[in-house]
Amino acid sequence: MNRLTYLAKRLALGVPVVLFGLTMSFLIMYRGPIDPVMTILGRDATASDIRQLRIALGYIRPNGTQVPIWEQYATVMYDLFTLQFGQSWIIQRGVPVTEVIGNRMPATLWLGWWSVVIALLFGIPIGLFAGLKANSWSDYLASGGGIIWRAMPNFWLAVMLAGSLSAGGALGWYRGLGSDYGLKTDVIGTPDEVGNLFTVVDLFQGVPVLELLFLPIPNVGNVLIAFKWILPAALVLGSASMGNEIRIGRTAVLESINSKYVETAKAKGLSSRRIIVKHVGRNAVVPLLPVIMGEFYLLIGGSVLVEKVFSINGLGNLFFRAVLGPDIPVVMGLVFIFVVIQVLMNILQDLLYTMVDPRITLEDAGR
Amino acid sequence: MEEPTSRFDEDSTLRSRLEADPEPALRWAAVMAALALVQIGSLLGGLLSILDAAVVGVTAIFDVLFGLVGLTGASAAVVDVQSALSGAVTTARDAAEGLPTLLSRETIPNQGHLASADGPWVDTFLGLEPALAWAVRVLLIVGYSLFTFYWLFRGWLVFRAHYRQADWTPTDDMIDRLRDHRWGQFGIFVLALFLIMALFGPALGPTTVSQNIVSPYSHEVTYFNADAGAVETVAAGDANFNSKSKGAGDQNVGPMTYDNFNRFHPFGTLPNGRDLFTFMMGGARITLIVAGLAIGLSALIAGGLAMVSAFYGGNIDLTLLTTADGIVSVPRLLLLIMISAIFANHWLAGVLDGGFLLALIFAFTGWPFLWRAVRGPALQVAQEEWVDAAESFGQPPRTIMRKHMFPYITGYLLVYASMSTGGIIVGLAALSFLGNGLGITPPTPAWGRAVSLGQSYVSGPSWHISFIPGAMIVVLVTGLNALGDGIRDAIDPESAGGDDDEAAAGGGA
Repeated sequence: MNRLTYLAKRLALGVPVVLFGLTMSFLIMYRGPIDPVMTILGRDATASDIRQLRIALGYIRPNGTQVPIWEQYATVMYDLFTLQFGQSWIIQRGVPVTEVIGNRMPATLWLGWWSVVIALLFGIPIGLFAGLKANSWSDYLASGGGIIWRAMPNFWLAVMLAGSLSAGGALGWYRGLGSDYGLKTDVIGTPDEVGNLFTVVDLFQGVPVLELLFLPIPNVGNVLIAFKWILPAALVLGSASMGNEIRIGRTAVLESINSKYVETAKAKGLSSRRIIVKHVGRNAVVPLLPVIMGEFYLLIGGSVLVEKVFSINGLGNLFFRAVLGPDIPVVMGLVFIFVVIQVLMNILQDLLYTMVDPRITLEDAGR
Repeated sequence: MEEPTSRFDEDSTLRSRLEADPEPALRWAAVMAALALVQIGSLLGGLLSILDAAVVGVTAIFDVLFGLVGLTGASAAVVDVQSALSGAVTTARDAAEGLPTLLSRETIPNQGHLASADGPWVDTFLGLEPALAWAVRVLLIVGYSLFTFYWLFRGWLVFRAHYRQADWTPTDDMIDRLRDHRWGQFGIFVLALFLIMALFGPALGPTTVSQNIVSPYSHEVTYFNADAGAVETVAAGDANFNSKSKGAGDQNVGPMTYDNFNRFHPFGTLPNGRDLFTFMMGGARITLIVAGLAIGLSALIAGGLAMVSAFYGGNIDLTLLTTADGIVSVPRLLLLIMISAIFANHWLAGVLDGGFLLALIFAFTGWPFLWRAVRGPALQVAQEEWVDAAESFGQPPRTIMRKHMFPYITGYLLVYASMSTGGIIVGLAALSFLGNGLGITPPTPAWGRAVSLGQSYVSGPSWHISFIPGAMIVVLVTGLNALGDGIRDAIDPESAGGDDDEAAAGGGA
């Protein structure tokens, strides 16, 4: 099958999945036993206020009749799929949802990116190493660490780490680290630097036509501060995936190192370094792919807890507050984004499979 | 296929086999009866508590179903039936708990007090100091329970050696492989320990949930007041108030210490002065009930649907795939937060202190993972000749699934169920940690809430409040993962090593 046709087919199959996820969220938020109108207006609301708000929110018609649930459903779905997310009800009343989400996006992206990268940088090498030195003491240490690391609840690890990083804690020195170079940071809360990782430079000032070209250049100081700030939270958020990567990387290496093709490569006289990189390493990536891609899934859920403990003003925190609100447009907007990204990541994973391992055809990957 | 051989006649009944050679069975039964008799009160009490929970749970489901269909009359009748049944069960339980129990707080009491500044201890077991009396009781209970678990397993061995019709079944090999699997046994051991905590929680704690946590002001503590130089009595709530662990200065009652009221705290106290060990035992009970209910339900759904999708394939399989993907596409913790926040004030959230609703939510959000994991094995077995043969033989699909497919996938179901239980336990703790009406309703103890209570004291002397509950979760989850590994190696020794499907089972939340 041609890659493009495959992509189109997968995208088409993704639509019902997105629809299902959104329908579920719609039913929970719109048919559940809550009344956002009373939360918005408070207890002193007059009957006419309530009526007007109900009309504005699309619960009842101006003539006082109830809007049927399927009509509410159609409106909500139409708006979501045409990317009209509406305005926030409670968190920032009247502000467009896109703006509410957009403001908190950088912190979460920064957190998510580093949690994936840190888990990869540590997890995979440790796993490969443990596999190459199977049944040695260093292997037991690495696999044992991976097993425990993977069983640790994120929120607990976050609480313990945030506690040790506080002023009197065992890791209290971390906050002052590099303060000579202006890197004194707090680990709780979101510093402004996160939103300003890039400096926009107008390189072509004065040059006609090109003058409109702006170039974003990383602002080194801000990037360093933001990195130092995010490191503990990212370490926690990536913990479960790192444990998985150690474990699965180890097994994958063990499996391929005992295989015929590695024996052949050895017989051919290839250097062990080349064997490890080209033959063992590449084959070990296949079972690791779903773990790496699955990280995204863990990130969204985990970010609620980690962001709450570290008081990061990101999407996880936003989602939590929006659900408790209940700020339904924000919830639906966030769920829409999460579900769409989730479906796209799944497709990307199957495409990557075929690239890493040419034996896997697109038909297999698509099941 | 070789001929099945047997030591017994094809049509001999279990009864006739028992009568032919009663000695091993009698020997086993005598020990078992002695074990049961020693603890008769708490055993019956525990069984009746489970029965009570089951009655409430089943009637709640019917109530919700009737309510959805609009039969309000029927749903009210169901509630009436429930309260009547519940009442009867509770009366029986109170009577049962009045029966003598050897390893109880009454026979080995630890709640005593000093008679003067240098002792002796009064009201404790043999006049030992409370810490020792408590340790004796805990060791006896744990030893007793572990032995009883072993003896139950021994019963199966006796049955296999002397009374089973078949000489050999595939299960025998699995069990024997598990008996050589140290890592899997570690898992069984950990699970057994936590089951003991859930079952015997009230007897294990230095005090009880109702005395110390739920209604501390209707219970009293007698202690030797060093300042006044006399034995005094105070409400447990007031004693708690002066035994807080808040990190600063003398406001800390750490693990393995006494407070000023002659009370021993194995895990120290919470910031509100309650006993952390008792809190953890109470939490173990609700955690295991919720996790057990949730994983049982989702295994039932997942196993059934996996067989259906493997047997019929085609559009049914595709529909299930979309449904499962749809549920999975909304990250689990988000779905959990949404559903439990919405239902926070619903009456369903009152059943089992919110645990019942949580179990339903965990089952609903968890079955797709299990279904995906066992769908593969189910697809494989659906292609086997024996399924074709049974079909051409005219067996109805339900029988085929039950008799020819289910035995094959049970092992896999067990492996993945064991591993996802860890995810449920962590998820439950995470919800209780978030608070705000999510998770188990206070004051019923929940592990996650203890972590949240100790959050601001981690770096000081009161580190135990957050640390111990989390460490216990780590041990339990590791144990469940080990058990899963053990079962997998037992059912499929070829596959020694990891697998990709369980990636989502870890500490995610």
